[in-house]
Amino acid sequence: MALSRRQFLTLMGGSAGAAVLFQACGLPEKELLIDSPPAMPEDLVSGIDNWYATTNNQGGSSEGIVVRVMEGRAKKVEGNTNHPLNLGGHSALSEAALQGLYHPDRITAPQVRTGPRGSGEYREISWEDAIARLSSRLGELDSSNENNKAVFVSNPTGGHSGLVLEKFTDSLGSRHLSYEALETNVLRTALKAVFGTDSIPEFDIDNADLVLSFGADFLSSWVSPTRYARGYGEFRQGHEHRGRLIHVDSRFSMTAANADQWVHVNPGTEGLLAMSIMQVLSSSHSNAVFGDLDADGVLDSYSPVNVANEVGVSVDIINQIADDFSHSEHPIALGGGSAGAHTNGTQNLKAIYSLNHVASNLGKKGGVLLNPRSPIDGVGAAPPSNSFSEFYRLAEEMKAGNVSVLMVKDADFYYGMTDTADMKVALDSVPLIVSFGGMMDDTTSVADLILPQHHFLEDWGTDVPLAGPGYQMIGFQQPVVRPFFEHRGSNLGTKGFADILMATAQVMGKDLGLDGETFKEVIKNDAERLYELDRGGIVANSFEGFWNGVLQRGGWWDTSYKIDNVPEVNRLDGVASPEFGGLEQEFYIQPFISTLGDGSAASLPWLQAMPDAISTATWQTWVEINDKVAGKKGISEGDVLEIRPANGRTIKALAMPNPAVPPDTIGIPIGQGHRDGGRYSAGRGANILSVLDSKLDSENGSLAWAATRANVTTTGEWIRVPKFENTVPEFPRDEHQDIIQITSGDNH
Amino acid sequence: MIPGDFQPQKPTGNQLAKLGVLGVVLLGIFIGIVLVLTFVISSWMGRPVIFGHDGPDQPIEFPHETHVEELGMDCTFCHRTVEKEAAASVPATGLCMTCHSSVGDDLEGITKMRSLYEDGRSIHWVRVHRVPDHVHFVHEAHIRYFSEKDGVEAKDVCATCHGDVASMDKVQQNRALKMGDCVNCHKQNNAPTDCVTCHY
Repeated sequence: MALSRRQFLTLMGGSAGAAVLFQACGLPEKELLIDSPPAMPEDLVSGIDNWYATTNNQGGSSEGIVVRVMEGRAKKVEGNTNHPLNLGGHSALSEAALQGLYHPDRITAPQVRTGPRGSGEYREISWEDAIARLSSRLGELDSSNENNKAVFVSNPTGGHSGLVLEKFTDSLGSRHLSYEALETNVLRTALKAVFGTDSIPEFDIDNADLVLSFGADFLSSWVSPTRYARGYGEFRQGHEHRGRLIHVDSRFSMTAANADQWVHVNPGTEGLLAMSIMQVLSSSHSNAVFGDLDADGVLDSYSPVNVANEVGVSVDIINQIADDFSHSEHPIALGGGSAGAHTNGTQNLKAIYSLNHVASNLGKKGGVLLNPRSPIDGVGAAPPSNSFSEFYRLAEEMKAGNVSVLMVKDADFYYGMTDTADMKVALDSVPLIVSFGGMMDDTTSVADLILPQHHFLEDWGTDVPLAGPGYQMIGFQQPVVRPFFEHRGSNLGTKGFADILMATAQVMGKDLGLDGETFKEVIKNDAERLYELDRGGIVANSFEGFWNGVLQRGGWWDTSYKIDNVPEVNRLDGVASPEFGGLEQEFYIQPFISTLGDGSAASLPWLQAMPDAISTATWQTWVEINDKVAGKKGISEGDVLEIRPANGRTIKALAMPNPAVPPDTIGIPIGQGHRDGGRYSAGRGANILSVLDSKLDSENGSLAWAATRANVTTTGEWIRVPKFENTVPEFPRDEHQDIIQITSGDNH
Repeated sequence: MIPGDFQPQKPTGNQLAKLGVLGVVLLGIFIGIVLVLTFVISSWMGRPVIFGHDGPDQPIEFPHETHVEELGMDCTFCHRTVEKEAAASVPATGLCMTCHSSVGDDLEGITKMRSLYEDGRSIHWVRVHRVPDHVHFVHEAHIRYFSEKDGVEAKDVCATCHGDVASMDKVQQNRALKMGDCVNCHKQNNAPTDCVTCHY
């Protein structure tokens, strides 16, 4: 049969079309296969969820969480209703943990740097190779007796991870420093002086009737906000009489916004105010207990008349606060945040916490409950961080060539140190930087070798809370999912941090003296010791039953194991006036924590998109500035401002005028301005920490991060501030009724 | 004009456009019908082909007869999730190895299964029973209903749809398992026959 060209093309088109059509309707080959894998988890039932309890202590505060897992994937985080601290509540940081677990920019295997430092050029290597590289370098230092040239910098690490880390650095003879961008160091120094222990006590806000807080934004970011927010609910609504909150702060924070009375003070004068309150109590209120507290008579010079002017509060208000405090049955005084971030920070906090001695509320309901030691010897809460002055010294040593190996875990000090240019020079002088980061951050981006650790939802661990519940407890952390990069095989993928250290020590032939071959074994063996104590909330006939009970509840606690004795009262010291860098500059800079913690959570888009509690701004770095001051300067919302401290370093941020900002203050959130850290944070916003003056606390050398002053200039640029407020229309029930009515002339 | 004097008028541009639209619409409907028919026919004829076959060849000749009739094992011993979830599920080879790490040394299938297990590789069984993707069949609900109604154990319900698998050399489908089959059975048992019962 002769086939014309036209017929041929028609047939070809037709048959190709039919083939496509029928193929599309047919079944893909794999649909007809059923997979029978070598092993399947016992409890895997498709379509039915499992909830696993674990502990989140990322970002410093401890929270018991339960994670919903379906078919091996974590789907949702909720608060653990059993956990003594949060009792079912959970923070945004816990909620967003899933985004950390499934982050597209996680590091999936060990890496070695191939390009210049900071270029981001890396090559994948096997775990065997990576551990060999680290251990051989450490071994060289060991054999030449230069062990102290190896330095380990980590976040303050407690629990069993802290134990392994300590044993590792001890066995190597290397130095270990703990780093925190915003230190709890000052707080812990003050607590040690006032209460004799540097663990943070339990504040029984639940049962208090007056909370007098100084600078501590405890409802949004201070120490253990989930626990305090839960207590706050009880405090306000759980009793017949609603508790009263007085908040003393130089910035209008979320806690200030919730307070019955926000007492605005000049920055750094919180301690003076506390002293003055005590002076009033000692001179005119008979029920205040002073004992030896003021045996030296230091209070005499802090009468309201003497300090009112410096504090910026009228004599009447000081008297009124003292009056309220002495007439309350269960008053608590607490302080921290910016109150401890001045050159007189430790003194401020010591004065503030001494108010609790005056109220004699220690160990009492609605008062301050000290925390007992950890139930497992050698496994405790995270140690206090090293101060900024120690990190300055470390930087100097790096420059002098005294640091050969720098190991870094969860400590982004290249981001958090005030003068990052100087830190860069220091880091460049270190021959080998090893990071254990599971995600890029500023410090990991200059590492030569990356040994990526598991996400906390994939790893084992324990957690002795820094701010415990007032009785003995230890939280347990278990993997809720298999490691996400497990499919890359055992020589790639991620590993647990403690297991990496244990493997390195093994390769080096060092005995860490741990009871177990793997990190899980170490934890399980210590859990057996807990079982042998034969007390606490978990009763079981066998250790296996106890172990399951501990993992199901997310931890072990003994509500009857408390501290009963009241510590001796140390005599009061005086409080100096705060000092500031650049007094000729116009504004006090008030850095504050918004939604990104100290910046370590900036890689998580849910937290980036979470509106700030006061301004509702998101995804940016903004400047809270008084609206009248802004009006005078011709600044309106979205104007790009340049912040100019006297030290010459500058950043740019968007103006966000707000009537609640004190006229002499600008508030700037911490957490943006990362060089690296994944697609959601790199190059976004500006890092306020990088422009702060290096003013230090006079007693312990911590950074006084609220002691910088700056000028503000406009750049002429404008960017719309991404914010929640006014982006959703309000719908009043009728046109004459506003949802919120703001009236003027109301003083209370 | 005289009545009956018919002079065809030249179509105006407007009419031509309308005709064109009509044509396109008709063509669209035609293509739609062809697609639907193709889909219906291919899904009816779709694999697994149920007629004129004695069941597909499997990578390992698994003798149901030995396990069920001779050893007396329950269906639910291996198909563990059949009482709990939508799918009956095929067991992991780890379960096979509980016995076959020591039983059946001289059998070819066992040797093959062991080597796959040791290499960490899956067995890819060929599916015998399958309903289309737009149908949700939930084993758990059917097993529960029939075992309560007839007062029997789950293992005795399986044969209602799957036939006497215990005596089959090669597992094969012996019931149509098409929509008519489903609807008939639902009617007999006063089960709902709303579309969304299965198509959701």
